[in-house]
Amino acid sequence: MKFTRSAVAAVAIASTLALSACASESASPSASGSAGSGLTGSLKASGSSAQKNAMQEWINAFQTTNSGVTIDYQANGSGAGIQDFNNSQTSFAGSDSALKPEEATAASTRCAGGTAINIPMVGGAIALAFNVAGVDSLTLNPKTAAGIFSGAITKWNDPAIAALNAGVTLPAATIAQFHRSDSSGTTDNFTKWLLATAPDAFAFAGGKDWVAPGGQGAKGSDGVAAGVSSTPNSIGYMELSFVMSKGLKAASIDNGGGAVEATSDNAAKTIAAATVKGTGNDLALNIDRKIADGSAYPVVLVTYEITCETGLAAADSALVKAFLTYTASDAAQGALAASGYVPITGDLLTKVRAAIAAIA
Amino acid sequence: MSQTLKGDTLPKWAPIASLAIAIGVAIALANTTAVAGTAGTSVLAVLIFIAIQTLWSFAVEGRRHAVDRVATTLIYATFVAAAAPLLSLLFEVFTRGIKVFNLAFLSHSMRNVSPLKPGGGVLHALIGTMQQVGVATLIAVPIGILTALYLVEHARGGRLSKAISFFVDVMTGIPSIVAGLFIYTAWILTLGFDRSGMAAALSLAILMLPVVVRTTEEMLKLVPNDLREASLALGIPKWKTTIRVVLPTAIGGIITGVMLAVARVAGETAPLLLTTFLSQSINNNPFAGPQAAVPTFVWDQLSSSTPASLDRAWAGALTLILLVMFFYGAAKLIARYYAPKA
Repeated sequence: MKFTRSAVAAVAIASTLALSACASESASPSASGSAGSGLTGSLKASGSSAQKNAMQEWINAFQTTNSGVTIDYQANGSGAGIQDFNNSQTSFAGSDSALKPEEATAASTRCAGGTAINIPMVGGAIALAFNVAGVDSLTLNPKTAAGIFSGAITKWNDPAIAALNAGVTLPAATIAQFHRSDSSGTTDNFTKWLLATAPDAFAFAGGKDWVAPGGQGAKGSDGVAAGVSSTPNSIGYMELSFVMSKGLKAASIDNGGGAVEATSDNAAKTIAAATVKGTGNDLALNIDRKIADGSAYPVVLVTYEITCETGLAAADSALVKAFLTYTASDAAQGALAASGYVPITGDLLTKVRAAIAAIA
Repeated sequence: MSQTLKGDTLPKWAPIASLAIAIGVAIALANTTAVAGTAGTSVLAVLIFIAIQTLWSFAVEGRRHAVDRVATTLIYATFVAAAAPLLSLLFEVFTRGIKVFNLAFLSHSMRNVSPLKPGGGVLHALIGTMQQVGVATLIAVPIGILTALYLVEHARGGRLSKAISFFVDVMTGIPSIVAGLFIYTAWILTLGFDRSGMAAALSLAILMLPVVVRTTEEMLKLVPNDLREASLALGIPKWKTTIRVVLPTAIGGIITGVMLAVARVAGETAPLLLTTFLSQSINNNPFAGPQAAVPTFVWDQLSSSTPASLDRAWAGALTLILLVMFFYGAAKLIARYYAPKA
């Protein structure tokens, strides 16, 4: 009697554990395989959620050609990513902004005396998506955008908007404005653009948190996109990929050189025109947000990969170098536009490749 | 005519008729006035229903029956209000999750699956959750049961046992994120271990421990003292009495408690975000390397926020609910099997 009881008790506990043993045998077909390129090992990275989907696509492609490699990117936010990197938890960090001086000090300790470098890798465009019945195309300039988002312009047929949109019939409806309620790099870059181009019309502090009064807050770019698509006469700022995935319409921006459509190609021109403020292979960028080129979309953001130029463990360093070499390749950058990201192009891409080649 | 013992009563169909009228009036009011939404209309319908029924009952049956009907209605209404969120949640998760929930979803990992495209599955996360919860169980259950044995069998009311009881109570109230932070700072940052399934298991073990101690303690207290005394009177030593008499008597309840503790931690997300490194690939080794888990799988798919990944997140949530239901079901069966036979 006692024996059967304890036997059943043991089976009950063991069966819950044994399930995992059963499951492991039916491994996913794509989960194992031999290395084709000789690269093996695993790599950990974490940080910016803005580049998560781009990173995931790249990891998939890289793992397909190097089946012995496993790369995991945890999108826990830029700040957490830099901390993970500085605590030697990860081999590189994704970040919406370049390392700050105090972070750079900690990072060089992590790099065992080497320097940590910022490598711009994924660009993004911030689109002003609108939902106004009967309006298919809309042009805004910094002043009107600042007016709408600061609450000074409240009607769609405001003379300032009408002046930019000759031939478009604008309704007399009240503008429903959407912004991010959570802290985000998108808000940071959007307000940086407003403050650089229309400081008089936007009298609020910039930064990752939205502080201007009025409008409705929504969590995440997907929240803003959902708000705009379900609310008539609304406008909101979000990453370009969400405009594409939700089928919204985005306003063209006239930064002084004519109206420019919010497309990946147009945004790439602004990023390519950015100047490097870092030294050596550190490619921290200064984006010219006042760019008045008729084909450069000015509201952009750049996310970086932060890693050690020297000082990573040898095995990690080889993997980081191989992976980043792939992400800076034409194939990898060319694939970005399809998912709504903006590629790095031109001279900047050449510099990026040189910086990656110097990783040792 | 002659007087009957029973007073006048409302016909049997009275509540249904009043309810129908109340719903009709509420919908009419919702369409013509500012009462908005399903929730507002429902509340309004209930209030109108109570008013109609009470007045009708008061007129026909008298005060006592009217009060009785009000009380009955309120009790049913609170029951519905309590059950509605749960049913609505289950309904929502099932209808949304069933879309991509199938055998392929349960037998594939997310390795090399694009966030933008459908496909992939939860296998890597399921393996991770099973192993993490399994290791946590192996750590927490022996410690928990031995602690409870000490408290009940050996140290009745001693100073040490009071201190232990106090700290177990405090541990019950620890928010799961704090358990995660503790392991993150102590195990990962201070001792320098990598984030892994093991780190997750440690934080889950902290959450399981007080539940196991508490339930085991209660079960051991239910064992009649006569059994212990009879055993001791036959000259059997105390340790043997504990192992051969006390534990087998209480084993059903103890196992149920363990299963409930397992079900409780299987859905924990917060400590896992800090202690495991999310992975898209299968990792059969909980002691090294990034490992996924079902709750973090849901979180991860949610943060990709593409239509395909949102479908996967719902299916992951469904998987998690089914997993927890499985544990609860197993606990019920075991409890029934070991229930003392009359």
